[in-house]
Amino acid sequence: MFTQALLATAETGINRVLRLDATALPRLAHLAGKVIEVECSAPALQLFILADEAGLRLAARWEGDIACRLRAPASSLLRLATSNDKTAVLHSPEVELDGDSAVLLDLAGVLQDLELDWEYELARWLGPVGSQLLSSHLKSRARWTSQNLDSLRHNLADYLAEESRSLVGNNEAQARFAELDDLKMALDRLDARVERLALTLTPKPSEPA
Amino acid sequence: MNDPRKGSDAEPTTHFGYQSVPESQKADKVAEVFHSVAAKYDLMNDLMSAGVHRLWKRFTIELSGVRTGNRVLDIAGGTGDLTRQFSRLVGPTGEVVLADINASMLKVGRDKLLDSGVANNVQFVQADAEKLPFPDNHFDCVTIAFGLRNVTHKDQAIRSMLRVLKPGGRLLILEFSKPTSNLLSKAYDAYSFSLLPLMGKLITNDSESYRYLAESIRMHPDQETLKAMMVEAGFERATYHNMTGGIVALHRGIKP
Repeated sequence: MFTQALLATAETGINRVLRLDATALPRLAHLAGKVIEVECSAPALQLFILADEAGLRLAARWEGDIACRLRAPASSLLRLATSNDKTAVLHSPEVELDGDSAVLLDLAGVLQDLELDWEYELARWLGPVGSQLLSSHLKSRARWTSQNLDSLRHNLADYLAEESRSLVGNNEAQARFAELDDLKMALDRLDARVERLALTLTPKPSEPA
Repeated sequence: MNDPRKGSDAEPTTHFGYQSVPESQKADKVAEVFHSVAAKYDLMNDLMSAGVHRLWKRFTIELSGVRTGNRVLDIAGGTGDLTRQFSRLVGPTGEVVLADINASMLKVGRDKLLDSGVANNVQFVQADAEKLPFPDNHFDCVTIAFGLRNVTHKDQAIRSMLRVLKPGGRLLILEFSKPTSNLLSKAYDAYSFSLLPLMGKLITNDSESYRYLAESIRMHPDQETLKAMMVEAGFERATYHNMTGGIVALHRGIKP
Protein backbone atom coordinates (compact mmCIF):
# COMPACT_ATOMS: atom_id res chain seq x y z
CA MET A 1 0.00 0.00 0.00
CA PHE A 2 2.95 2.30 0.61
CA THR A 3 3.98 1.99 -3.05
CA GLN A 4 0.40 2.67 -4.10
CA ALA A 5 0.31 5.79 -1.95
CA LEU A 6 3.64 6.99 -3.33
CA LEU A 7 2.55 6.46 -6.92
CA ALA A 8 -0.83 8.09 -6.32
CA THR A 9 0.89 11.17 -4.90
CA ALA A 10 3.40 11.35 -7.76
CA GLU A 11 0.62 10.86 -10.30
CA THR A 12 -1.46 13.67 -8.83
CA GLY A 13 1.54 16.02 -8.83
CA ILE A 14 2.58 15.17 -12.40
CA ASN A 15 -0.94 15.57 -13.74
CA ARG A 16 -1.31 18.91 -12.00
CA VAL A 17 1.90 20.09 -13.69
CA LEU A 18 0.76 18.71 -17.07
CA ARG A 19 -2.46 20.70 -16.83
CA LEU A 20 -0.39 23.90 -16.67
CA ASP A 21 0.56 23.38 -20.33
CA ALA A 22 -2.48 23.70 -22.59
CA THR A 23 -0.94 21.48 -25.30
CA ALA A 24 0.42 18.62 -23.16
CA LEU A 25 -2.76 16.64 -22.49
CA PRO A 26 -4.09 16.75 -26.09
CA ARG A 27 -0.67 15.53 -27.25
CA LEU A 28 -0.87 12.60 -24.82
CA ALA A 29 -4.28 11.54 -26.20
CA HIS A 30 -2.84 9.43 -29.02
CA LEU A 31 -0.87 7.37 -26.48
CA ALA A 32 -4.12 6.11 -24.91
CA GLY A 33 -4.18 2.36 -24.43
CA LYS A 34 -0.38 2.01 -24.69
CA VAL A 35 1.50 0.91 -21.60
CA ILE A 36 5.19 1.65 -21.00
CA GLU A 37 7.04 -0.57 -18.56
CA VAL A 38 10.09 1.05 -16.96
CA GLU A 39 12.33 -1.37 -15.14
CA CYS A 40 15.17 0.14 -13.15
CA SER A 41 17.90 -2.49 -12.86
CA ALA A 42 19.86 -0.75 -10.09
CA PRO A 43 18.11 -0.22 -7.71
CA ALA A 44 15.48 -2.82 -8.68
CA LEU A 45 12.20 -1.01 -9.29
CA GLN A 46 9.37 -1.48 -11.73
CA LEU A 47 6.90 1.11 -12.92
CA PHE A 48 4.14 1.09 -15.51
CA ILE A 49 3.15 4.33 -17.22
CA LEU A 50 -0.15 4.82 -19.03
CA ALA A 51 -0.89 8.07 -20.80
CA ASP A 52 -4.13 9.47 -22.16
CA GLU A 53 -5.87 12.82 -22.57
CA ALA A 54 -6.57 12.91 -18.83
CA GLY A 55 -2.87 12.70 -17.96
CA LEU A 56 -0.51 10.00 -16.76
CA ARG A 57 -1.35 6.98 -14.67
CA LEU A 58 1.42 5.27 -12.72
CA ALA A 59 1.10 1.68 -11.59
CA ALA A 60 3.32 -0.70 -9.64
CA ARG A 61 2.01 -3.70 -11.57
CA TRP A 62 0.02 -4.21 -14.74
CA GLU A 63 -1.66 -7.31 -16.06
CA GLY A 64 -2.47 -6.03 -19.56
CA ASP A 65 -0.36 -5.76 -22.74
CA ILE A 66 2.88 -3.74 -22.71
CA ALA A 67 3.66 -1.56 -25.75
CA CYS A 68 7.23 -0.69 -24.80
CA ARG A 69 9.62 -2.04 -22.19
CA LEU A 70 12.61 0.02 -21.04
CA ARG A 71 15.25 -1.55 -18.79
CA ALA A 72 18.15 0.57 -17.51
CA PRO A 73 20.01 1.59 -14.35
CA ALA A 74 18.79 4.64 -12.46
CA SER A 75 21.64 6.82 -13.81
CA SER A 76 20.62 6.15 -17.43
CA LEU A 77 16.94 6.74 -16.63
CA LEU A 78 17.88 10.07 -15.08
CA ARG A 79 19.94 11.01 -18.17
CA LEU A 80 17.02 9.96 -20.36
CA ALA A 81 14.71 12.24 -18.40
CA THR A 82 17.00 15.26 -18.57
CA SER A 83 18.96 14.88 -21.81
CA ASN A 84 17.94 16.60 -25.04
CA ASP A 85 19.44 13.86 -27.17
CA LYS A 86 17.33 10.95 -25.92
CA THR A 87 18.17 8.73 -28.88
CA ALA A 88 21.85 8.72 -27.87
CA VAL A 89 20.91 7.64 -24.33
CA LEU A 90 18.62 4.92 -25.68
CA HIS A 91 21.47 3.55 -27.81
CA SER A 92 23.87 3.29 -24.88
CA PRO A 93 24.85 -0.32 -24.00
CA GLU A 94 23.31 -0.40 -20.52
CA VAL A 95 19.83 0.52 -21.85
CA GLU A 96 17.55 -2.23 -23.16
CA LEU A 97 14.46 -1.27 -25.12
CA ASP A 98 11.83 -3.72 -26.39
CA GLY A 99 8.65 -3.02 -28.32
CA ASP A 100 7.48 0.24 -29.84
CA SER A 101 10.13 2.84 -28.92
CA ALA A 102 8.06 5.60 -30.59
CA VAL A 103 5.63 5.44 -27.65
CA LEU A 104 8.42 6.18 -25.20
CA LEU A 105 9.94 8.92 -27.36
CA ASP A 106 6.53 10.54 -27.83
CA LEU A 107 5.94 10.62 -24.09
CA ALA A 108 9.45 11.94 -23.43
CA GLY A 109 8.91 14.62 -26.11
CA VAL A 110 5.70 15.84 -24.50
CA LEU A 111 7.35 16.05 -21.09
CA GLN A 112 10.38 17.86 -22.51
CA ASP A 113 8.33 20.42 -24.42
CA LEU A 114 6.31 21.49 -21.38
CA GLU A 115 5.79 25.23 -21.14
CA LEU A 116 4.11 25.72 -17.83
CA ASP A 117 1.72 28.58 -17.28
CA TRP A 118 2.40 29.25 -13.61
CA GLU A 119 0.48 32.52 -13.69
CA TYR A 120 -2.73 30.68 -14.52
CA GLU A 121 -2.27 28.40 -11.51
CA LEU A 122 -1.47 31.38 -9.29
CA ALA A 123 -4.57 33.19 -10.57
CA ARG A 124 -6.72 30.24 -9.48
CA TRP A 125 -5.54 30.69 -5.90
CA LEU A 126 -4.98 34.45 -5.63
CA GLY A 127 -7.31 35.92 -8.23
CA PRO A 128 -6.23 38.00 -11.26
CA VAL A 129 -5.04 41.07 -9.34
CA GLY A 130 -3.10 39.16 -6.70
CA SER A 131 -1.46 36.86 -9.25
CA GLN A 132 -0.51 39.85 -11.46
CA LEU A 133 1.10 41.67 -8.51
CA LEU A 134 2.90 38.57 -7.31
CA SER A 135 4.08 37.45 -10.75
CA SER A 136 5.33 40.94 -11.73
CA HIS A 137 7.16 41.15 -8.40
CA LEU A 138 8.67 37.69 -8.91
CA LYS A 139 9.65 38.50 -12.50
CA SER A 140 11.37 41.77 -11.48
CA ARG A 141 13.18 39.92 -8.65
CA ALA A 142 14.26 37.23 -11.11
CA ARG A 143 15.50 39.88 -13.59
CA TRP A 144 17.35 41.74 -10.81
CA THR A 145 18.95 38.48 -9.62
CA SER A 146 19.96 37.52 -13.14
CA GLN A 147 21.51 40.95 -13.82
CA ASN A 148 23.37 40.90 -10.53
CA LEU A 149 24.71 37.42 -11.17
CA ASP A 150 25.97 38.57 -14.60
CA SER A 151 27.56 41.64 -13.05
CA LEU A 152 29.16 39.55 -10.30
CA ARG A 153 30.58 37.14 -12.87
CA HIS A 154 32.12 39.98 -14.91
CA ASN A 155 33.53 41.73 -11.85
CA LEU A 156 35.01 38.52 -10.52
CA ALA A 157 36.59 37.75 -13.90
CA ASP A 158 38.03 41.28 -14.11
CA TYR A 159 39.40 41.10 -10.57
CA LEU A 160 41.05 37.70 -11.06
CA ALA A 161 42.53 38.70 -14.44
CA GLU A 162 43.45 42.35 -13.93
CA GLU A 163 43.81 43.02 -10.21
CA SER A 164 45.09 39.88 -8.59
CA ARG A 165 46.65 38.51 -11.79
CA SER A 166 45.60 35.04 -10.60
CA LEU A 167 44.18 34.23 -14.00
CA VAL A 168 45.08 35.31 -17.50
CA GLY A 169 42.57 37.72 -19.00
CA ASN A 170 40.45 36.67 -21.95
CA ASN A 171 42.07 39.10 -24.46
CA GLU A 172 45.54 38.26 -23.26
CA ALA A 173 44.78 34.54 -23.54
CA GLN A 174 43.37 34.98 -27.06
CA ALA A 175 46.51 36.90 -28.15
CA ARG A 176 48.74 34.19 -26.66
CA PHE A 177 46.69 31.45 -28.38
CA ALA A 178 47.04 33.36 -31.71
CA GLU A 179 50.81 33.55 -31.24
CA LEU A 180 50.92 29.84 -30.49
CA ASP A 181 48.88 29.15 -33.62
CA ASP A 182 51.30 31.26 -35.71
CA LEU A 183 54.25 29.47 -34.15
CA LYS A 184 52.69 26.09 -34.91
CA MET A 185 52.07 27.10 -38.51
CA ALA A 186 55.66 28.35 -38.85
CA LEU A 187 56.92 25.10 -37.38
CA ASP A 188 54.84 23.09 -39.83
CA ARG A 189 56.20 25.14 -42.72
CA LEU A 190 59.77 24.67 -41.47
CA ASP A 191 59.19 20.96 -41.12
CA ALA A 192 57.91 20.74 -44.68
CA ARG A 193 60.87 22.74 -45.97
CA VAL A 194 63.39 20.50 -44.18
CA GLU A 195 61.70 17.45 -45.65
CA ARG A 196 61.89 18.97 -49.13
CA LEU A 197 65.58 19.84 -48.70
CA ALA A 198 66.31 16.37 -47.38
CA LEU A 199 64.70 14.92 -50.49
CA THR A 200 66.86 17.08 -52.81
CA LEU A 201 70.06 16.11 -50.94
CA THR A 202 69.35 12.37 -50.97
CA PRO A 203 70.81 10.80 -54.16
CA LYS A 204 68.30 9.07 -56.42
CA PRO A 205 68.92 5.26 -56.77
CA SER A 206 69.11 5.49 -60.62
CA GLU A 207 71.91 8.13 -60.60
CA PRO A 208 75.61 6.96 -60.42
CA ALA A 209 77.44 7.87 -57.23
CA MET B 1 -25.81 -19.47 1.69
CA ASN B 2 -25.32 -16.79 4.40
CA ASP B 3 -26.11 -19.17 7.17
CA PRO B 4 -29.74 -19.73 6.23
CA ARG B 5 -31.85 -21.14 9.01
CA LYS B 6 -35.15 -22.47 7.93
CA GLY B 7 -37.95 -22.73 10.40
CA SER B 8 -40.49 -25.51 10.00
CA ASP B 9 -43.14 -23.23 8.52
CA ALA B 10 -41.34 -19.88 8.11
CA GLU B 11 -39.36 -18.57 5.15
CA PRO B 12 -35.58 -18.94 5.25
CA THR B 13 -33.70 -16.29 7.19
CA THR B 14 -30.41 -14.58 6.59
CA HIS B 15 -28.31 -12.11 8.50
CA PHE B 16 -28.61 -8.37 8.34
CA GLY B 17 -25.59 -7.37 10.37
CA TYR B 18 -25.98 -9.36 13.60
CA GLN B 19 -29.76 -9.60 13.21
CA SER B 20 -31.54 -12.51 11.63
CA VAL B 21 -34.16 -11.42 9.12
CA PRO B 22 -36.35 -13.19 6.55
CA GLU B 23 -34.48 -13.39 3.24
CA SER B 24 -37.14 -11.37 1.45
CA GLN B 25 -36.54 -8.42 3.79
CA LYS B 26 -32.76 -8.17 3.57
CA ALA B 27 -32.63 -6.37 0.21
CA ASP B 28 -35.10 -3.74 1.46
CA LYS B 29 -33.16 -3.23 4.68
CA VAL B 30 -29.87 -2.86 2.78
CA ALA B 31 -31.58 -0.46 0.40
CA GLU B 32 -32.70 1.68 3.38
CA VAL B 33 -29.10 1.87 4.58
CA PHE B 34 -27.81 3.05 1.23
CA HIS B 35 -30.68 5.47 0.60
CA SER B 36 -29.71 7.02 3.92
CA VAL B 37 -25.97 7.33 3.27
CA ALA B 38 -25.86 7.89 -0.52
CA ALA B 39 -25.50 11.68 -0.41
CA LYS B 40 -22.42 11.58 1.83
CA TYR B 41 -21.10 8.18 0.79
CA ASP B 42 -17.80 9.45 -0.67
CA LEU B 43 -17.11 11.79 2.23
CA MET B 44 -17.75 8.99 4.73
CA ASN B 45 -15.54 6.58 2.78
CA ASP B 46 -12.69 9.07 2.88
CA LEU B 47 -13.17 9.75 6.57
CA MET B 48 -13.61 6.13 7.63
CA SER B 49 -10.61 4.82 5.71
CA ALA B 50 -8.49 8.00 5.83
CA GLY B 51 -8.51 7.91 2.03
CA VAL B 52 -7.00 4.41 1.86
CA HIS B 53 -10.04 3.07 -0.02
CA ARG B 54 -8.66 4.90 -3.06
CA LEU B 55 -5.45 2.85 -2.84
CA TRP B 56 -7.44 -0.40 -2.53
CA LYS B 57 -9.31 0.58 -5.69
CA ARG B 58 -6.08 1.49 -7.51
CA PHE B 59 -4.77 -1.99 -6.81
CA THR B 60 -8.01 -3.46 -8.14
CA ILE B 61 -7.57 -1.53 -11.39
CA GLU B 62 -3.96 -2.73 -11.69
CA LEU B 63 -5.02 -6.36 -11.37
CA SER B 64 -8.00 -6.04 -13.70
CA GLY B 65 -5.96 -6.43 -16.90
CA VAL B 66 -8.55 -4.23 -18.64
CA ARG B 67 -7.42 -2.81 -21.97
CA THR B 68 -8.73 -0.66 -24.81
CA GLY B 69 -11.97 -1.95 -26.30
CA ASN B 70 -12.92 -4.18 -23.34
CA ARG B 71 -16.42 -4.46 -21.89
CA VAL B 72 -16.47 -4.09 -18.09
CA LEU B 73 -19.27 -4.54 -15.55
CA ASP B 74 -18.89 -2.66 -12.26
CA ILE B 75 -21.49 -4.20 -9.93
CA ALA B 76 -22.53 -2.27 -6.83
CA GLY B 77 -20.55 0.51 -8.49
CA GLY B 78 -22.04 3.10 -6.15
CA THR B 79 -20.54 6.49 -6.75
CA GLY B 80 -18.49 5.30 -9.71
CA ASP B 81 -14.88 5.35 -8.48
CA LEU B 82 -13.95 2.19 -10.40
CA THR B 83 -16.17 3.03 -13.37
CA ARG B 84 -14.35 6.31 -13.92
CA GLN B 85 -10.98 4.53 -14.08
CA PHE B 86 -12.30 1.74 -16.29
CA SER B 87 -13.84 4.30 -18.63
CA ARG B 88 -10.36 5.78 -19.21
CA LEU B 89 -8.83 2.36 -19.78
CA VAL B 90 -11.35 0.93 -22.25
CA GLY B 91 -11.45 4.13 -24.32
CA PRO B 92 -14.14 5.09 -26.83
CA THR B 93 -14.24 1.60 -28.37
CA GLY B 94 -14.97 -0.11 -25.05
CA GLU B 95 -17.91 -0.03 -22.68
CA VAL B 96 -18.35 0.15 -18.91
CA VAL B 97 -21.63 -0.72 -17.23
CA LEU B 98 -22.15 0.72 -13.78
CA ALA B 99 -24.76 -1.44 -12.09
CA ASP B 100 -26.24 -0.93 -8.65
CA ILE B 101 -29.38 -2.30 -7.07
CA ASN B 102 -29.90 0.94 -5.18
CA ALA B 103 -31.45 3.81 -7.14
CA SER B 104 -30.08 6.50 -4.80
CA MET B 105 -26.50 5.27 -5.14
CA LEU B 106 -26.89 4.90 -8.89
CA LYS B 107 -28.19 8.47 -9.16
CA VAL B 108 -25.31 9.87 -7.10
CA GLY B 109 -22.82 7.87 -9.19
CA ARG B 110 -24.39 8.89 -12.50
CA ASP B 111 -24.51 12.60 -11.56
CA LYS B 112 -20.93 12.52 -10.33
CA LEU B 113 -19.61 10.83 -13.47
CA LEU B 114 -21.59 13.00 -15.87
CA ASP B 115 -20.48 16.14 -14.03
CA SER B 116 -16.87 15.11 -14.46
CA GLY B 117 -17.32 14.45 -18.18
CA VAL B 118 -17.42 10.66 -18.07
CA ALA B 119 -20.30 9.79 -20.38
CA ASN B 120 -19.48 8.38 -23.80
CA ASN B 121 -18.66 4.80 -22.95
CA VAL B 122 -20.57 4.34 -19.69
CA GLN B 123 -24.03 2.82 -19.20
CA PHE B 124 -25.99 2.99 -15.94
CA VAL B 125 -28.15 0.01 -15.02
CA GLN B 126 -30.18 -0.68 -11.89
CA ALA B 127 -29.66 -4.39 -11.41
CA ASP B 128 -29.61 -7.11 -8.80
CA ALA B 129 -26.23 -8.88 -8.63
CA GLU B 130 -28.02 -12.22 -8.17
CA LYS B 131 -29.94 -11.87 -11.42
CA LEU B 132 -27.77 -9.84 -13.77
CA PRO B 133 -29.79 -8.68 -16.79
CA PHE B 134 -27.04 -9.30 -19.35
CA PRO B 135 -26.42 -11.99 -21.94
CA ASP B 136 -24.08 -14.92 -21.30
CA ASN B 137 -20.35 -14.46 -22.10
CA HIS B 138 -20.73 -10.70 -22.45
CA PHE B 139 -18.04 -8.99 -20.30
CA ASP B 140 -14.24 -9.14 -20.27
CA CYS B 141 -14.09 -8.12 -16.63
CA VAL B 142 -16.60 -7.97 -13.77
CA THR B 143 -15.87 -6.17 -10.52
CA ILE B 144 -17.80 -5.80 -7.30
CA ALA B 145 -16.25 -3.49 -4.74
CA PHE B 146 -17.62 -3.42 -1.19
CA GLY B 147 -20.93 -4.80 -2.43
CA LEU B 148 -20.91 -8.57 -2.09
CA ARG B 149 -21.43 -8.59 1.68
CA ASN B 150 -24.79 -6.85 1.18
CA VAL B 151 -26.04 -9.47 -1.27
CA THR B 152 -28.53 -11.95 0.19
CA HIS B 153 -27.43 -15.01 -1.81
CA LYS B 154 -23.72 -14.54 -2.45
CA ASP B 155 -23.32 -17.91 -4.19
CA GLN B 156 -26.08 -17.01 -6.66
CA ALA B 157 -24.46 -13.64 -7.31
CA ILE B 158 -21.06 -15.21 -7.99
CA ARG B 159 -22.65 -17.72 -10.39
CA SER B 160 -24.47 -14.87 -12.12
CA MET B 161 -21.16 -13.02 -12.54
CA LEU B 162 -19.59 -16.17 -13.98
CA ARG B 163 -22.41 -16.45 -16.48
CA VAL B 164 -22.02 -12.94 -17.88
CA LEU B 165 -18.21 -13.17 -18.12
CA LYS B 166 -16.59 -14.24 -21.37
CA PRO B 167 -14.36 -17.32 -21.16
CA GLY B 168 -10.98 -16.02 -19.95
CA GLY B 169 -12.69 -13.02 -18.34
CA ARG B 170 -11.85 -11.94 -14.80
CA LEU B 171 -13.96 -11.46 -11.71
CA LEU B 172 -12.53 -9.12 -9.09
CA ILE B 173 -14.16 -8.98 -5.67
CA LEU B 174 -12.91 -6.16 -3.43
CA GLU B 175 -14.39 -6.58 0.01
CA PHE B 176 -13.72 -6.22 3.70
CA SER B 177 -12.27 -9.38 5.15
CA LYS B 178 -10.58 -10.78 8.23
CA PRO B 179 -7.42 -9.08 9.62
CA THR B 180 -4.45 -11.42 9.67
CA SER B 181 -3.14 -10.31 13.07
CA ASN B 182 -4.98 -10.60 16.38
CA LEU B 183 -3.68 -7.26 17.57
CA LEU B 184 -4.87 -5.49 14.43
CA SER B 185 -8.18 -7.34 14.72
CA LYS B 186 -8.75 -6.01 18.25
CA ALA B 187 -7.86 -2.45 17.26
CA TYR B 188 -10.07 -2.74 14.18
CA ASP B 189 -13.02 -4.01 16.27
CA ALA B 190 -12.63 -1.14 18.70
CA TYR B 191 -12.54 1.33 15.81
CA SER B 192 -15.47 -0.24 13.95
CA PHE B 193 -17.89 -0.51 16.83
CA SER B 194 -17.16 2.76 18.60
CA LEU B 195 -15.79 5.31 16.13
CA LEU B 196 -17.66 4.33 12.94
CA PRO B 197 -21.18 4.74 14.38
CA LEU B 198 -20.05 8.00 15.98
CA MET B 199 -18.78 9.31 12.65
CA GLY B 200 -22.03 8.19 11.02
CA LYS B 201 -24.00 10.06 13.64
CA LEU B 202 -21.97 13.25 13.19
CA ILE B 203 -21.79 13.30 9.38
CA THR B 204 -24.99 11.64 8.15
CA ASN B 205 -27.03 11.71 11.37
CA ASP B 206 -27.37 7.95 11.02
CA SER B 207 -25.31 5.78 13.36
CA GLU B 208 -27.35 2.63 12.70
CA SER B 209 -26.21 2.37 9.07
CA TYR B 210 -22.60 2.42 10.17
CA ARG B 211 -23.26 -0.07 12.94
CA TYR B 212 -24.71 -2.29 10.20
CA LEU B 213 -21.52 -1.72 8.16
CA ALA B 214 -19.33 -2.97 11.03
CA GLU B 215 -21.60 -5.93 11.71
CA SER B 216 -21.97 -6.93 8.08
CA ILE B 217 -18.18 -6.98 7.72
CA ARG B 218 -17.94 -9.47 10.61
CA MET B 219 -20.62 -11.67 9.03
CA HIS B 220 -18.92 -11.69 5.61
CA PRO B 221 -16.99 -14.86 4.66
CA ASP B 222 -13.26 -14.72 5.34
CA GLN B 223 -10.61 -14.90 2.61
CA GLU B 224 -10.43 -18.67 2.28
CA THR B 225 -14.21 -19.16 2.45
CA LEU B 226 -14.84 -16.63 -0.29
CA LYS B 227 -12.13 -18.19 -2.44
CA ALA B 228 -13.77 -21.58 -1.95
CA MET B 229 -17.12 -20.08 -2.97
CA MET B 230 -15.56 -18.79 -6.19
CA VAL B 231 -14.06 -22.19 -6.98
CA GLU B 232 -17.40 -23.84 -6.14
CA ALA B 233 -19.17 -21.50 -8.57
CA GLY B 234 -16.78 -22.55 -11.35
CA PHE B 235 -13.96 -20.01 -11.35
CA GLU B 236 -10.41 -21.12 -12.07
CA ARG B 237 -7.12 -19.77 -10.70
CA ALA B 238 -8.95 -18.14 -7.78
CA THR B 239 -6.51 -16.14 -5.68
CA TYR B 240 -6.69 -13.33 -3.18
CA HIS B 241 -4.46 -10.47 -2.05
CA ASN B 242 -4.73 -9.14 1.49
CA MET B 243 -4.46 -5.39 1.85
CA THR B 244 -3.91 -3.31 4.99
CA GLY B 245 -3.31 -6.42 7.07
CA GLY B 246 -6.30 -8.31 5.72
CA ILE B 247 -8.86 -5.62 6.60
CA VAL B 248 -9.63 -5.71 2.90
CA ALA B 249 -8.99 -8.52 0.42
CA LEU B 250 -9.09 -8.56 -3.34
CA HIS B 251 -10.23 -11.91 -4.76
CA ARG B 252 -9.68 -12.72 -8.39
CA GLY B 253 -10.93 -15.62 -10.48
CA ILE B 254 -10.86 -16.47 -14.18
CA LYS B 255 -13.78 -17.95 -16.08
CA PRO B 256 -12.62 -21.17 -17.77
